[in-house]
Order: sequence, then C-alpha cells, then structure tokens
Amino acid sequence: MPDNTLLSTAAWSLLLIAILAGCSTSSIVDEQRSDTASLELSSGERLVIMGRRHGNSYETEPDFINCISNNVANTGKFSVMPEQEFLDTLYPWFEPRVAPLKLQGMSKTLAITVVADRIKAIGIRYVIWVDGSTETTEEKGSMHCGMAPSGGCFGFKSWDKTSSYEATIWDLKHLTEKGKVKVDSKGASYMLGIIAPIPLIAQVKGVACEDISSQLKGFFSQ
Amino acid sequence: MAIVLNTKFSLGLTIIVYLLLTGCSTHVVITGEHPPVLVQPLDYNVGLVLNSSFTDYSFTREKDDQKIIITLGDSQTQLFSQIFEGIFTSTQRLQVKPQITTNPMDLVVIPRVEKLQVSMPDETSLNVFEVWIQYKLEIFDTNSALITEWSVSSYGRTQTRFLKSTESALHQATNSALRDAGAQIVIGFNRIPKIRDWVKRKTGSNNAR
Repeated sequence: MPDNTLLSTAAWSLLLIAILAGCSTSSIVDEQRSDTASLELSSGERLVIMGRRHGNSYETEPDFINCISNNVANTGKFSVMPEQEFLDTLYPWFEPRVAPLKLQGMSKTLAITVVADRIKAIGIRYVIWVDGSTETTEEKGSMHCGMAPSGGCFGFKSWDKTSSYEATIWDLKHLTEKGKVKVDSKGASYMLGIIAPIPLIAQVKGVACEDISSQLKGFFSQ
Repeated sequence: MAIVLNTKFSLGLTIIVYLLLTGCSTHVVITGEHPPVLVQPLDYNVGLVLNSSFTDYSFTREKDDQKIIITLGDSQTQLFSQIFEGIFTSTQRLQVKPQITTNPMDLVVIPRVEKLQVSMPDETSLNVFEVWIQYKLEIFDTNSALITEWSVSSYGRTQTRFLKSTESALHQATNSALRDAGAQIVIGFNRIPKIRDWVKRKTGSNNAR
C-alpha cells in the first residue's frame, strides 16, 4: 500500500515537472534604430504590416501578421490597415512576385503615378515588412492511441519550435528605413499519453508576436 | 416481402457503390472575387476572346486512387475580363476570334490554359498544397496577324499547413495562382518586346496622321 502511494506521488510529481518545464519559451529580441527620435504619425496617416512571401521554402504566415497588426492597433494610438485590404487596394503592385524587396524598388513603385496617388489617398505613411517563419526543429518520442473501450493513448512525444522573424520599418514619406526588430523564440512542447493525451504546448509563435509587437509600438511617439 | 427486401438491398448496394466510387474524389469549384487592377489604362480597343474551353475549364488528376477535379473556368473568366478591362480603355469580350472587316480592333487577345499541375503535401518536402497554371496568350493585331505568343506561368500555394480540408487548401492554392497570373499579365503586358515594338509603331503611325 505505501508503495502505491509512493508511485502515485512520483507520477504526479513528474507530470507537474513536465507541465512547469514543458511550456517554457525563451526569446531574444534585437533592435536597430536609424535615430533615437520617435517616429511620427500625423492624424490621417496609417501604417501597414505585411509579410514577406517571395521565398521558395517558407512564407511569413498571414496569421502572424494579423497578430502583430491587432496588437499594434489595439493600443488605439495607431491606425493600422489590414494586410489583405492593402494588397487588394494596390493589386497587383505588392503581390509576392512583384513587391519591392528594397527601398530602391519601393522608389520605383512609387514613381508609378496611380500607385503613389492610391497610397496617398489611403494615408499609408509606414510599411512594416515582416520576414520569417516558425518551424518545428526536433521531434522525439512516440504515442499510440487504441480504439475504445479498452484503448487509450500511451506514450510520450516532444517537439521543439523555433520562431525567427525580422521586421523592417519603411517611411514612405522620406523613403528611408527607420529601423529593424529581430526576434528569435524557442520552446519545447510535450504530449503525454496517460489514457487521454495531455498536450503541454509552448506558445513560441505567440511569444514572438508579443515581443515584436511591443518593440514596434516603442518606435512610435505615444 | 421479398420484393421489398430486394429493393432495399439494391438501394443500399447502390449507395455503397456510389460512396466507394466518389469516396476518394475531391472536387473544388473555384469561387471568389478578384480585386480590381490598379493601372493606368492603355488607350486601345481590345478584343478578349474567351472561348468555351477557357470559360468551362476544369482540371482533372487521377493518381493513386485519388481523383482531384478543379473547376476554375468561371473564376479565370472573371479574372481575365477584369484584368483586360483594367489594362485597356476599351475591352470587348468575345467568344470567337472576330473577322477583320466586321469589327476592327487594335489588338485581339486569345488566352488558353496550357497546363495545370497540382502538388499535394505528401509529394514535396514543403508540406503544403501547390498549384501551377501555365497560360498561353495569343496576341493579334488589327489585320489578324499574330504579334506574339506569350507564356505566363503562375504559382500558388497554401499559406498554412493546417487547413480545414483538402478542398479548402486546393481552393486557396488555386486562387493564389490565379492572383499571381493576374499580377504577371498586368505588369508584364507592355513589357513584352514585340508588344512594345507594336506600341511604338502604332504611336508613330498615329502621330504621322
């Protein structure tokens, strides 16, 4: 009987350790500014946050861009145009294949009268490009689930996720780069199979979104 | 009683056979609006010939007991109409190539789908749904002489690996490929060397009058 109590205590302790350790996420944030002054955003001026999607191997996820846009817009201090609305309004000039990758290219795009007029009409002052993705880097273990009634899930599975994103701020009024924010987040997630599967998910992408959003907000005058 | 049982049995068997035949089939009808194009229109009268093989276009792939059908005729018809109405000041949509004498136009464009390819997540290392569409556009002048044949290869993929179904993933990838085709046509049309030469000649002859 005492043996059973000991086993049970050990199992619960292990589970608690896994829960506490499992959801840990580490994040490194790096910031560069072209000058120390805050970026100005006059009334009627807006910013747009867009994902880079020109690469072959990955695309910056639209849900990640929405997350940053919502976080920045939720402060109520900045007007943020949704990415899809901007892309549709300026179709086809910011589609993945043709979007300017450098300021020199942006200057050429803005030399097209209809594009410059439309950007002025919708009040876009800053374009913030976000480039990166979240990848699953390492998977270990396995889990097996059987059919009811005698079944259930047994086993242990873990995986690491890495988020790496870089945001670059372009000022369209002066055609200059105002700064960069780089975020690297890592975290391990676990799935315990004790009859029912118990997921312990690290919010790696969520942490990266929070970090990049708060850094970007810091660029603008409050 | 035996007749009733036989009828029920036949009905059940028919349903099972139907489910077996259609069970591994995915049919996607591409819908949705395309955004209007933002471009300074060229001052030409253009005939856009969209024949039934284009407006009713459907792609079918059968591989490993899995059948995929993508119907994109309506969507690409809407896209091409919208694009050419944006690129030129006057665009007439036609079903067949016009006669020179009856309806003079500056240009006549006849697009057709050359090839459509689909790649499923388990077929590549990217683990996403991908769609490639290759269009060929035949461009004729006022005298019905071929100016050029222009190939446009467009690409689209799902932006997330976790979509609700194969249908919605293929829908998203195809729409993305159509959007890419539109972008290439709008930006590339007057950059085609033979079209640029034609514009130069046309502008020269108009100025001479």
